[in-house]
Amino acid sequence: MSEENKIDLELDLKGLLCPLPMVKVSQNIGKVEVGGIIRAVATDPGAMADIPAWAKSTGNEVLQAEKVDGQFVFLVKRVK
Amino acid sequence: MDAQQLTTLAGVIDKKMNRQLKQYIDICARCAICKDACHQYVGTGDFKYLPARRAELIRQVYKKYFDKTGRFVPALYEARDPDDNLLDELYDSAYACTGCRRCMYYCPFSIDTAWILSVAKAILIAAGRGNEMLGQLADAAIFKGDNAEMFNDVMISGFEDIQEEVRAITGNPESQVPVNKQGADILYVALAGAHSIRPAAVIFEEAGESWTISMFEAANYGFFYGDAEKARLITKRYIDEAIRLGVKEIVVPECGHAYRVAEFFYEAWSKEPMPFKVSHILEKVDQYIKAGRITVDKGLIEGKVTYHDPCQLGRNGGKFEEPRDIVKAVTDNFVDLTPNRAEQWCCGGGGGIVAMEEFKDVRLASGIKKVEQLKASGASVLACPCENCRLQIEELNEVHELGLQVWQVIDLVVAAMPLKGKKPMQA
Ligand code: SF4
Ligand code: SF4
Repeated sequence: MSEENKIDLELDLKGLLCPLPMVKVSQNIGKVEVGGIIRAVATDPGAMADIPAWAKSTGNEVLQAEKVDGQFVFLVKRVK
Repeated sequence: MDAQQLTTLAGVIDKKMNRQLKQYIDICARCAICKDACHQYVGTGDFKYLPARRAELIRQVYKKYFDKTGRFVPALYEARDPDDNLLDELYDSAYACTGCRRCMYYCPFSIDTAWILSVAKAILIAAGRGNEMLGQLADAAIFKGDNAEMFNDVMISGFEDIQEEVRAITGNPESQVPVNKQGADILYVALAGAHSIRPAAVIFEEAGESWTISMFEAANYGFFYGDAEKARLITKRYIDEAIRLGVKEIVVPECGHAYRVAEFFYEAWSKEPMPFKVSHILEKVDQYIKAGRITVDKGLIEGKVTYHDPCQLGRNGGKFEEPRDIVKAVTDNFVDLTPNRAEQWCCGGGGGIVAMEEFKDVRLASGIKKVEQLKASGASVLACPCENCRLQIEELNEVHELGLQVWQVIDLVVAAMPLKGKKPMQA
């Protein structure tokens, strides 16, 4: 992992049903500084659209949204 | 707050306060019967959660601007400007309210406090003090709807995974999760989560239904936020899609507010007739069972089963019997909660409150009546067709160590179906 992708907060969202993964990311984004990164792991496929849509509409950035071994892994950067 | 802002807020109040709402704030007899109906007042004993007190705040602002007596002798009529203190009080009153309307059911004048509080939300939004979380979730849904093509691939891939799971459950390699199927009879407007699609797909497929899903979901945070225009836009996405696909009927999932929005509010917001029949998924499932289109076995569910009426589906939606008939079709060991149906206690999780961390304490405290009901029932399984209710009850279950299994009704149905495939896990 590169230095610029240092994780500031890990969120285990496994087992949460949509839209809760998006809700949890939104509730926790204020816990990292601007420029900070949350790594979130979810299991509900709906999060693959929900979390990027939330990021776009709130002006934050999804650096990564990938399916890894049946789980959905997100790197979300707080932009403002 | 400067004069310009006050004028703006007065304009919002004037626009929102229709004849019925004015009548409500005039006829309240201060009898306080509603206090024993509100789970939040009962659970906390905090005066600010007394329904009539919440409505009183709106009465005070209204009197200040639109009633001669309040304008000229405000102290006598407790008329108040919407200053920061009042806005803080309005915020707590309005966004904590779950919109359960149990207070209205018991009020001798049927005063709809939740509706009065929609004025409070409009004032707060106009003052830039609407709940941030609910606003963000509403905006995310609108963005997702406006940019559906951006999410097309990930959503299709998710639906394909769900289809594989459905085939594993039915044991039928032909089972489908049809997406955007032109000319289907039914558009099932699911929630974003796979748990809302998987069991519904099993049931539709086994019933031989002509159905489809689309890219658009039923949850509506614009409604909870208190912004009718955002709520209308979120709903309009699936209405337009249903028109495009040429379906005959829209079926909404196990979600209380989604049903109420589609069945009761959309026409008022859009000022157009709803072009389709709107059904709740449990109405369809009840019909399939009664018509023999799906088979359920009574012996497959273990333990005593009870049922919670979500406020938006039961008291505010009138759907009491279909879910009970379904649960009774899958078990002989059913016990109702007391009280039930229109008198059912709100679990404390409605109105978007589960997404608002600042109300966590009042939310959990307000669940005490539900906990007492569940304990008294002696049930080990709870069937509950609302996402927000299930989240709240699962948390109460943990905090109070109730040892309950909390199920969607459609999961209970799938668990009771004698299918060839492997039994699914509970959602
Ligand atoms: S029960 Fe109705 S009339 Fe009595 S205080 Fe409550 S809102 Fe007012
Ligand atoms: S609608 Fe429900 S939560 Fe809101 S004031 Fe009435 S009883 Fe209380």
